[in-house]
Amino acid sequence: MTAVAMTLDRPAAVPKAEEREILLSVENVSLSFGGVKAIRDVSFDIRKGEIRAIIGPNGAGKTSMLNVINGFYHPQEGTITFKGQRRHRMAPYIAASQGIARTFQNVALFKGMSTLDNIMTGRTLKMRTGILGQAVYWGWSQKEEIRHREVVERIIDFLEIEHIRKTPVGKLPYGLQKRVELGRALAMEPELLLLDEPMAGMNLEEKQDMCRFILDVNDQLGTTIALIEHDMGVVMDLSDRVVVLDHGVKIADGTPDEVQRNQNVIDAYLGVTR
Amino acid sequence: MEGLGPFLEVLIGGLLAGVLYSLVALGFVLIYKASGVFNFAQGAMVLLAGLALVRSLDFLVAKGLPFEVAVVGALLFAGAIMAITAWLIERYVLGPLLNQSEMTLFMSTIGATFIIEGAAQMLFGSDVYPLQLYPTDAWIILDEVFPGGILISKLDVWGAVIAGVLVAGLAAFFQWTRTGRALRAVADDHAAAQSVGIPINWIWFVVWLIAGLVAVVAATVWGTKLGVQFSITFLALKALPVLIIGGFTSIPGAIVGGLVIGAGEKLAEIYLGPYIGGGIEYWFAYVLALAVLLVRPQGLFGERIIERI
Repeated sequence: MTAVAMTLDRPAAVPKAEEREILLSVENVSLSFGGVKAIRDVSFDIRKGEIRAIIGPNGAGKTSMLNVINGFYHPQEGTITFKGQRRHRMAPYIAASQGIARTFQNVALFKGMSTLDNIMTGRTLKMRTGILGQAVYWGWSQKEEIRHREVVERIIDFLEIEHIRKTPVGKLPYGLQKRVELGRALAMEPELLLLDEPMAGMNLEEKQDMCRFILDVNDQLGTTIALIEHDMGVVMDLSDRVVVLDHGVKIADGTPDEVQRNQNVIDAYLGVTR
Repeated sequence: MEGLGPFLEVLIGGLLAGVLYSLVALGFVLIYKASGVFNFAQGAMVLLAGLALVRSLDFLVAKGLPFEVAVVGALLFAGAIMAITAWLIERYVLGPLLNQSEMTLFMSTIGATFIIEGAAQMLFGSDVYPLQLYPTDAWIILDEVFPGGILISKLDVWGAVIAGVLVAGLAAFFQWTRTGRALRAVADDHAAAQSVGIPINWIWFVVWLIAGLVAVVAATVWGTKLGVQFSITFLALKALPVLIIGGFTSIPGAIVGGLVIGAGEKLAEIYLGPYIGGGIEYWFAYVLALAVLLVRPQGLFGERIIERI
C-alpha cells in the first residue's frame, strides 16, 4: 500500500511545518444541513508551503470542510482566516480571487471543451480585457490570450498531457481527466490548492504520477496543498501534517506518525463505537 | 416546368420566412445553453424591444433628427432598455433562485413574461406602431424562365442576411472570446465554473443581455413585417416547434429548424391544403415538431440524452 509514494524523496532543508507561517485557519466551524450536523466545532490551520491532509471515514465531513473553505457552503458558526483576513463566510469568487483553487471529488470539468480550453478557464481571473474590449478591439484581447496561452502550455508540459491538448475532455479516461482538472486549478496560480480525493479511482501507475505531480507542485511552485485522500499509504508519505475528522468532529491533528498511533483514529477506522 | 415556378417561389418564400422564426428561436437557445433555463419571456422581450425602438424612433424623428441618426439613437435606446431588463431579471428573478430546479426557473420566466408585457405597454403604449427599417417591396427574378417569374420579398432577404451575420458573430463570440468560454463553462458545470472564479451572476447578466439584443434585432425585422404590436409575443409560440426540431442547445439547429418549419408549412399549405381544407399553416409546425419528438426527442442537433440506469 505504501509502495506508491515510497520512492519519492522529499528534499531536506525545508523548515519544519510547525515553524511556518499560518496561511489559513479554520476556527470553531460548525455546519449543518437542516438537522444533520456535518461539521461540529472544528478548528485547524494550514501553514504556508506544507502539504496538509484531511482524512476520516466516509461521511466524516471532509468534503464539507473543503466546501466551507472555498465558499460553496456557509458555516452557521465559526470563522475562516485566510492570509490574515478573518471572514465569517467565504464566497467562491472571493476565494478564487484571493488564491484558493480546488479540484472535485467527482471530476468537474467542462465536458464539451478541449483540454486546452478547460485549463484556459483557470486563467479567467488573470485576464483583464473586458467584454467590450473583446467585442470591439480584437487585437488586444488576442495578445492577452496568447500570453496566457503560454502559461497554460507550460502547465500542459508539466503535467505531461501534450498529446491530449485538443481532445474534448469528456472523451478522456478518468485518470487523465483528474490530471486536466489539476491543470485547471494550477492555471489559477493558487497559493492554496485544495484537492478532493485526487487519486480516487486511479490505478497504481496513475497514482504514482499524481503523487509526483503533487510533490512537484509543492516543491517547485511552493504551493500550499490541502488534500483529502483515502489511500493511507499516499497520505502518510505525502503529507507534512494530518487532521482527522470523524462524524464531523476533529479527533486528531498532527504529523503522520502521531496520527497513526492515535487511539481515537485507530478506533474510528476500525469502527469501534465510542 | 409549369409547376416548378410556383414550387420554387413557395419554397424560397418559406425558407426565408423560416429564418425569421430562427431569429426568435436564437434568443431561447442562448439562454438555455448558458443557464439551462427555458426562457418563456423571449417573446415578451421582442415586444418590449420593438416598442422601445419604434416609440423612441418616432420621438426622435418628430424632434427633427435625420432618419438615419434617429435609427441609431433608437437602437441604442432599445439596447439600453434590454440591458436594464437583463439586470433586473438577474437581480430579482433568477439570482435569488440560484440552484433551484429547472422547472422553478421556467415558472419564474412565465411570471416575468406577464410583467414585461404589462410594463412594456404601460411605458410605451399598446397600439399598433408601424415600423419601416427595411424595404418591403419584392424582387421578381427568372421571369424569362417561368411565367410570371419568382417573387422574393426584400424584407425576408434582409432578415435572412441579418440572421446569418448574427449567428456567425455569436458563434465566434462563444468560441473564441474569454467571456464566450466562461459562458460555455457555466453551462457545463456551475460549481466548477465558480471554483475558477467565474462570476456566475455577471455571466447570467451577459447572457440575458445578449438575448435582449437578439430580441432588438428580431424586433426590427418582425416590426417591419407586422407592425410593432402585442401579437408579436405569439412569435414565441412559433419558436417552440423550431426549437424542438433543431434542439434546444444548438445555434445552427435553431437556423435549420426555422428553415424546415418555414418551408414545410408554406409547402403544406399549397400542396396539402386543398385536400384537407386549408389553414394548415397555423398548425403544421406543431405536427412536425410532434413527429420529431417521437423519433429524436433531443432534436436534430441537440446534445444526445444519455441516461444511466
